[in-house]
Amino acid sequence: MIRVDGVTVVYRERAALRDVSVTIEPGERVAIIGPNGAGKSTLLRVIAGLLRPTTGTVELGGNRVDRLERLAVARRLSVVPQLPVLPFATTVEEVVALGRLPHEHPIRGMRPGDRAAVAAAIERVGVGHLLGRDARELSLGERQLVLLAMAVAQDAGVLVLDEPTVHLDLRHQVEVMELLGDLNTRDGTTILAVLHDLGLAAHFFGRLILLDHGRVVADGAPAEVLAPERIREVFGVDPSFVRLGDDRQVRQVPHPSTRATLPT
Amino acid sequence: MPSRAGILAARPASRSGASLVRRPLVVAAIGIALLLTALVAGIAAGSVTIAPADTLGILARRLLGLDIAPTWTAAAETIVVDLRLPRVLTAMVVGGGLAVAGAAFQGLLRNPLADPYVLGTASGAALGAAIAVLIPVRALILQFGLLHALAFLGALTAVTVVYRLSRVGASAPMTSLLLTGYAVGSLLAAGLAMAMYLSGTGLRQIFSYLLGGFDASSWIRLAVAAPLIGLASLAILLRARSLNGMLLGEEAAAHLGVDVRRERAILLALASLATAASVAISGLIGFVGLVAPHVVRLLVGPNARLVLPLAALLGASLMVGADLVARLLGEIPVGVVTAVIGAPFFLALLRRAHAGYEL
Amino acid sequence: MATFIRFRARRTATQATHFGGRWRGVPLALALTLVVALAACGGTGSPAPSTAAAPSPTATAAPTAPPTTAPAFPVAISDDEGTVVSIAAEPQRIVSLTPAATEILFAIGAGDRVVAKVEDINPWPPEADGLPVVATYQGVDVEQIVALRADLVIAGGLSFTPPNAVNQLRSLGIPVVVLYAESIDEALAGIRAIGIATGEAAAAADLSTATRTEMDRLAALTAGLDRPTTFYEIDATTDIYTVPADSLYAELLILAGADPITTDASYQISLERLITANPSVILLGDGGYTTAADVASRPGWSGIQAVIDGNIAVVDDALITRPGPRLVDGLRALIRALHPEVLP
Repeated sequence: MIRVDGVTVVYRERAALRDVSVTIEPGERVAIIGPNGAGKSTLLRVIAGLLRPTTGTVELGGNRVDRLERLAVARRLSVVPQLPVLPFATTVEEVVALGRLPHEHPIRGMRPGDRAAVAAAIERVGVGHLLGRDARELSLGERQLVLLAMAVAQDAGVLVLDEPTVHLDLRHQVEVMELLGDLNTRDGTTILAVLHDLGLAAHFFGRLILLDHGRVVADGAPAEVLAPERIREVFGVDPSFVRLGDDRQVRQVPHPSTRATLPT
Repeated sequence: MPSRAGILAARPASRSGASLVRRPLVVAAIGIALLLTALVAGIAAGSVTIAPADTLGILARRLLGLDIAPTWTAAAETIVVDLRLPRVLTAMVVGGGLAVAGAAFQGLLRNPLADPYVLGTASGAALGAAIAVLIPVRALILQFGLLHALAFLGALTAVTVVYRLSRVGASAPMTSLLLTGYAVGSLLAAGLAMAMYLSGTGLRQIFSYLLGGFDASSWIRLAVAAPLIGLASLAILLRARSLNGMLLGEEAAAHLGVDVRRERAILLALASLATAASVAISGLIGFVGLVAPHVVRLLVGPNARLVLPLAALLGASLMVGADLVARLLGEIPVGVVTAVIGAPFFLALLRRAHAGYEL
Repeated sequence: MATFIRFRARRTATQATHFGGRWRGVPLALALTLVVALAACGGTGSPAPSTAAAPSPTATAAPTAPPTTAPAFPVAISDDEGTVVSIAAEPQRIVSLTPAATEILFAIGAGDRVVAKVEDINPWPPEADGLPVVATYQGVDVEQIVALRADLVIAGGLSFTPPNAVNQLRSLGIPVVVLYAESIDEALAGIRAIGIATGEAAAAADLSTATRTEMDRLAALTAGLDRPTTFYEIDATTDIYTVPADSLYAELLILAGADPITTDASYQISLERLITANPSVILLGDGGYTTAADVASRPGWSGIQAVIDGNIAVVDDALITRPGPRLVDGLRALIRALHPEVLP
């Protein structure tokens, strides 16, 4: 369980988060949404223990994150990184194997159980066809999937993603979303994702947390969070650009960024 | 589910030498064989010809304690045991230490062009040595003179200064370290130029230190330096997991459970210690710390658990071989030999990268 | 830096004039024994004097006999770097790592015990030509020195011999005496030091004294003469190199009756300073590859008095710089170039 309590983060004289309190129960599937600069990524980093809040506390599974060792955090929470640059030629399986870092033997390295977990993660995410390739030669979408496999291999109770669909085409976006849904329903993994695509967020996530200027503006089901006045107020766009379907199919809606006159 | 064997034995399309790839044991065996060959050749060859049978006899008698009737002169025994053996072993230790330090720096800085001297250790050591030559003190403690002491201190001081200067808040970001290292190194190099200008007759001594060599090796020096370099290298090896974590960057490393600030400081300190001790006893010998980890990565991938020990093996062999070549060519500086071999090799690597094969 | 010599010989002796070597006293002792024995035979009743006149170095019977010498070894010498070097026995396999030491060793009679030398571009004496070379400008071949079973090495100070090599040889138990000379007195002290180290102390002392005497005599010849401003060229292919103020060079030039243009320890002098000093004599120490015509054709040099007058002479640099037995020849060569009328 993740509990954020009264967290304020002041960074360079600017409050990135103001008095944010959220509680995420195990097994939840939560999307954090909001305009640029709302503090979404900051919130993720605070939850992952990378950033120490100026005030307030963050608890992970009942323990305060700032008191936990990095390894302990890594066993509870995995983060899909955003396309880091690889300095050396690294195969796909080597990247995924990094996910076992918190579990493997400190000196001897991966044990058979770790290798099995790597294989399972590759299979689960469906990147088996990329085996043996240099991760740097993959397309952005393929790389993102490999990184997702790495986080899956890390086998933590919570999976955190920061804008995982930014570089993906529509098909891959859906693939990732469905995979997250699968991880959530089948394995009970808590999913916490920052998304900019409101449509995807609304469709695949049962709970949305809307941030604006560092504050939680709304927290709940998509229908109530993405109420039209809220969209107009927070995003400053015509709410008709976001359409929530009653059925569980994705509706093609023009992405706000494709409209040159609209702020993104 | 693909079998574990299937995943691990997959042939990476982008790595050459398919037969050696992912077979670290084979690479290790080749590395050990290479090292043994280099050691034997290093002991057997020199400006004085000693029959191989005599060399083996001397080694067996002195090292293994076997009771063999000497068929060689006392002078030959002195040459093998007191001149060549410590020299070859020193080259081995320094080569291995520099390779491990180089691999650590490359992993920490996530830069394949990093070498052990990248954070100013070389410039600091050189300036320390030059200052020592200017000071007319000739004391020797355990066969270490002022030159070794100041070179060692100079190297460590330079790294500490670079680290402190590149601190942003409580951490020292890697790009900051690299740039600060470059700046401090340039400053120290200017100091070195000044010292060389003032040195007069000591110029030759400074110069021969800069180019590096093992001709001053002795058992006592080896006994002091080897544990230092060896323990620092071993400590780095034991932290291979942290180096692996750094592969995707510091944030990702933190997410994977690496205490980035602590591990970076520890790894930097250990690698700098190994480098400082190496340059203190053998001067500035380049390319081994850069090339050995590279070659090993080409063969077995970037997993630090494999790269660190195998690079140590390769670095040791390279250094012993380079010293042998230097000796046979009339005692030219070892740094010249490593540069002559290492630079073309490096250029070849870069060209391959340019042609689409990435480093 | 004067050489301070301490004797740790087991018996005191006055060795000023006696040739060294343990065994020189033996024939004398035997002769004494014979004398005493004859005397004993001649006398009856008188108790035979104790035949303590066995070959004992302490026999001091006849006062007219030259005092026998105590053994010269073991000996401890303090070399020019202040290191105390212990030499246990008379060295039989000497290695010379400076050209000056090679000359000195042969001059004092230790040449037959020299087993290797340093590379010498002005080799002297001819008897040394066949010796194996174990050191060049590149470095010292320590293995060869060990293989030759050297028991004494004479090395050059001021990093002429790499300090690493000196330390390494010493760590292998080979005594290394490091010498260098920046004045005539130091050069002579170096000769005496080599004499003591090799057991030829008397010969070395003789050579030293003779050299000093002759130098004083030659200096006296030029003492009252006019001193021309002299430029001694060590090299001028790129920068100009001349003699430092406190150097052997300068001292010899002064003794030879010159007023030398000197510089600091860097040996370098600027062309401006040289032109301002305007020497009336130029001595070419680099005469091996520079001629007077070369000098005259250098840009900016044509206004120098010596060039105008054509007073450019070649001298053998080795004679002048080598702190060895031929230093006197060097002084003579300088005097011939500067005041030819003084020397026949």
